[in-house]
Amino acid sequence: MDTTQLLKGVLDVAVLAVVEDEDGYGYDVLRRLRAGGLAEVGDASVYGTLRRLYAAGALTSYVVPSDEGPHRKYYGITPTGRAQLTTQTKDWETFAETVTALLSDTHAVTQQAQPEGARS
Amino acid sequence: MTMTTPGTTDLHPETTAFLATVRAHLSDLPEEERDELLDGLEADLSEQLAEGGTLPDPDGYAAELRAAAGLPAGPAARAPRRRKPIKGQLVGAPDVLRARWLELTRHNDLTRTGWSLLETLRPAWWVLRAWVAVTLVDVMSGGYENVTLVPSLGAALVGPAVLVVAIVVSTLIGLGRLWPGSGPDRTPLARLVLAGLNVFAVLVPFSFHYAGSQPEIYRPTYARAVAVDTGPPVLRLGRDVIRNVYAYDAAGQPLQGVQLYDQKGRAIAVAPQSSMGRGAQREVTCPWFNGTTPLFNVFPLPQRSQRYGTCLGHPDPAKVGPQAFQEPPLASLPPATLPAEPTG
Repeated sequence: MDTTQLLKGVLDVAVLAVVEDEDGYGYDVLRRLRAGGLAEVGDASVYGTLRRLYAAGALTSYVVPSDEGPHRKYYGITPTGRAQLTTQTKDWETFAETVTALLSDTHAVTQQAQPEGARS
Repeated sequence: MTMTTPGTTDLHPETTAFLATVRAHLSDLPEEERDELLDGLEADLSEQLAEGGTLPDPDGYAAELRAAAGLPAGPAARAPRRRKPIKGQLVGAPDVLRARWLELTRHNDLTRTGWSLLETLRPAWWVLRAWVAVTLVDVMSGGYENVTLVPSLGAALVGPAVLVVAIVVSTLIGLGRLWPGSGPDRTPLARLVLAGLNVFAVLVPFSFHYAGSQPEIYRPTYARAVAVDTGPPVLRLGRDVIRNVYAYDAAGQPLQGVQLYDQKGRAIAVAPQSSMGRGAQREVTCPWFNGTTPLFNVFPLPQRSQRYGTCLGHPDPAKVGPQAFQEPPLASLPPATLPAEPTG
């Protein structure tokens, strides 16, 4: 299955989740997502998502100057972002349960149906 | 700008190029939005490289960035010709260069002001390149003539008329009304052609040969032109360079002020940089004048001792000798006659 398609749907909530406890800059967020198991997540997707969440008011951003190089842009979660995270987490759980149930039911049905098909 | 601040010059060059390409892909966005989107990316990319990672394909990266940020597909993504990567790179190259250049000019206030000043001077460049084009034609069509403010082109009024037309055409091109036009929204061929022509127009004047001037005699706007690839015209007799010419009349007496022309009406002139001897013995030839135009085809040419440079250069008056005619190599010659016409 093409997991990149699935990833698109959950990237918002995943990004919100990894900055919930600690602010992070772009590459940092990417690392946390990959460390969390989303190995295939594209860096541009993460940056774009950060930007979109920021534009929507779910994230704040601030710049931290660096002595030895270009400055870093950190993102932190806002109350709006927390609310969105809570809602979307619930949505995801419901959705995941539904799909899991659906898949296992269908699996069971198919298994039951197969002997009948073999008989006829 | 926020992207590049002073003191960040230790960037990987590939990071800079990568950013420029991505930036070019976002060129349709308002500047503020673009900066917002790319802000901090530099640091992240540097870190990624430092950890041994590699930079992704900038075209795909930009497309992914746009999609994830909820922006419409970019101008480059909409163009179907970007499918071939090599061609795509060529097509994008002017944008990348442009983006990188603009990035550089934003480096600080001084470069920003300087660049905006230069941009306002674009019309002056349009006029200048028209002049260069007409002058080039002038120089190439004539044998050995002066580079003048208004090219002569051989006949009265032709030069000024052609120059006016050339300025109008050049300006129309600059305004984007005539092919190959100006600005980013053009075919790669048109951009390449214009860039080539502009570079040519910048380089060509270096092939014009400019002599110096003598301020006490005339204004320093005068110059003398020859095409560099043929070398400065030099009079030769066999392998010897002729540096002065002495004419005698039929009676064998030396003449002064003889103007020489060949069978096509071209001036037979010695090179303005003609000189004889070395060190303290060095002598340069000085021209005759028609108004302010120096003539090196009127003989004999006066000479003067001068250690460096040419007679028309800017020599230190204290270091040059008086200008004078040298004694002719031969005081007089036997008289010459034509054979008597056979009568009958």
